[in-house]
Amino acid sequence: MALIKDQQLSCSHAATPEMRFTDWVSGGSDAGDAVLANGADDLPSLLAQAGKLSMIAIEFDTFADGRGFSMARMLRRQGYAGEIRAVGDVAMDRIDFMQRVGFNAFELRDDQDALQALQKIGEVSVHFQPSADGKGPAYMV
Amino acid sequence: MYAYNEFDQTLIDQRVEQYRDQTRRYLAGEIPEEEFRVLRLMNGLYIQRLAPMLRVAIPYGLMKSDQLRMLAQISRTYDKGYGHFTTRQNMQFNWPTLESVPDILADLAKVQMHAIQTSGACIRNTTTDPFAGVSADEIEDTRPWCELIRQWSTLHPEFAYLPRKFKIAVSGSSSDRAASQVHDIGLHLYRNEVGDMGFEVLVGGGLGRTPVIGKTLRKFLEPQELLTYLDAVLRVYNLNGRRDNKYKARIKILVNALGVDAFGAMVEAEWQLIKGQELRLPEAEIERVKGFFKAPDYLSAMHASRDLNDTFAEHPQFAAWYKQNTRDHKQAGYRIIIVALKNQLQAPGDVNHQQMDGIAALADEFSFSELRSTHDQNLVLADVAQRDLFALWLKLQDLGLARANVGTLTDMINCPGLDFCSLANAETLILSRQVNETFDDMDYLYDLGEIQLKISGCINACGHHHVGHIGILGVEKGGKQVYQFTLGGSASNDASLGKTLGRSIEQDQVVVVIGQILDVYVEQRQTDETFLQVIRRVGFAPFKERVYGTHQRSAA
Repeated sequence: MALIKDQQLSCSHAATPEMRFTDWVSGGSDAGDAVLANGADDLPSLLAQAGKLSMIAIEFDTFADGRGFSMARMLRRQGYAGEIRAVGDVAMDRIDFMQRVGFNAFELRDDQDALQALQKIGEVSVHFQPSADGKGPAYMV
Repeated sequence: MYAYNEFDQTLIDQRVEQYRDQTRRYLAGEIPEEEFRVLRLMNGLYIQRLAPMLRVAIPYGLMKSDQLRMLAQISRTYDKGYGHFTTRQNMQFNWPTLESVPDILADLAKVQMHAIQTSGACIRNTTTDPFAGVSADEIEDTRPWCELIRQWSTLHPEFAYLPRKFKIAVSGSSSDRAASQVHDIGLHLYRNEVGDMGFEVLVGGGLGRTPVIGKTLRKFLEPQELLTYLDAVLRVYNLNGRRDNKYKARIKILVNALGVDAFGAMVEAEWQLIKGQELRLPEAEIERVKGFFKAPDYLSAMHASRDLNDTFAEHPQFAAWYKQNTRDHKQAGYRIIIVALKNQLQAPGDVNHQQMDGIAALADEFSFSELRSTHDQNLVLADVAQRDLFALWLKLQDLGLARANVGTLTDMINCPGLDFCSLANAETLILSRQVNETFDDMDYLYDLGEIQLKISGCINACGHHHVGHIGILGVEKGGKQVYQFTLGGSASNDASLGKTLGRSIEQDQVVVVIGQILDVYVEQRQTDETFLQVIRRVGFAPFKERVYGTHQRSAA
């Protein structure tokens, strides 16, 4: 599975965590761990504990489940600086939006061409909204 | 009206190329069918029964004449020479090919138009009062606020995959002409007791399978915080709206499940985190956008006015048109003109390319080159001097668009139904033809007064039947198309949902039943009582008795 991280194809990177956020919470919440979360998880709890986590992989069961977009946005908003990785049904037609809400890594679906996907970041280069990458309409600067 | 700057233009040009590449990859088999379905819907492209359908956005219904000319040209080049105005003030083309859509979008982009978010589970075209900025009863012009919402909602990265579609309507006058109480969010711009301008925010209204009147979420919202507040509502909905059942996924279901107070508390908690921050609108930005909607160079009242009494006496049809199809303007000497797209020969809301070119020319000649589309599928020339009215009327006659039936029974809202739509269960266009053929006596229609007839071909309610004074819903029963009547709905200030009259009516009996309902109204009404008032006063019994009475007896 190809991984794009920080706008580059990544060859060496941490594996996507298998530990689910809920198990991590019940298992002692060790600092520095990486977890797998999705839209069904307890978001206030994730936000409260995020500071301890080195990576949060947000899973898209289906590409149409947009909850992960708000999760990433809220994590970045409160200053989470670790990796937010999109995993699951992740395709090139959404990674630009994903990047703008705060994802910085994308584990692409098997049928995706990673080089082509890389081109999709910034395909629409101007935005009407503020976003995690600091770009926004002129009046918001 | 708003004009694109380089920023807006870059955005839609790049979006065209993005969609072109998506179409190319789909045709090459590189995007799965289900995924492309979502991508094309976000760009207004449906696959209908007979052909694709492309829905073009007309933000809050406002157009320049050259934009309408481009729609005419597109209808000639890529379609069958006509288009259809929808209840979201947009235009639909019924016959483009999937392959040609990127080229259509490129043509649209040349005149600052697009099809972004005209479908899909995202924030749709914001709609408003078609008389915004000109009507005599206006409190505040809604257009700058609609434009600010348009910008914020366009390609919003966080809210492109919502549980379901999301519709916002804005009203800014004492009469609600935007159906704001049946929208996911309805915004009422008004002045509070101390004279400050702000929004009342309604949430959770809607039609479809579960019709609901919106509830007040916030009594008064400071206008600078409009976008922070909308952002908070959308985020709470995106995270908490149901995704397991598309029929339960609209925000109205969430609001009803939680109760508006609990929902409001969630919004409030989120809003406290973002209020006053980056999305707060700076005064300078509000003023910049307002600058696009300044009043045009009106003639003085003396130059614009004309005493029309002699012309009325000489041309009674012109007098009737003036009475039915024009409205009071806030500028002395001017009228608002409604161009009714409800004639006997075309489906409600349809215009052909000659008419589009013709109306564009009339907008240039008489109304500062601008026009608007309306929620009830008509067009508006918003700024016509009284002295020009007769000349305008003559030219509208040449285009077949001078029918003086605005607000009458034949000024109906009608979805395209089974003739085009793959969701539909029943034909609707045949009903509008029958209504036009049966009720063609204008004096009778004028005597009946205001009656809103709204027809949908399925439960999704694109024809807004729940809020029609007379609503008709097409359903399929045992392989036959039959129609359920509702009475007493309204989408205005006194918004209410119509109630079902009784069992379904066969297609060839629909106009008969409409006639019976009208007869009961005429018999029951007291001086100056409208159709809706009579229904609210006398209830359903006399209507039921007339429509079903004999059948019920014979069945018993």
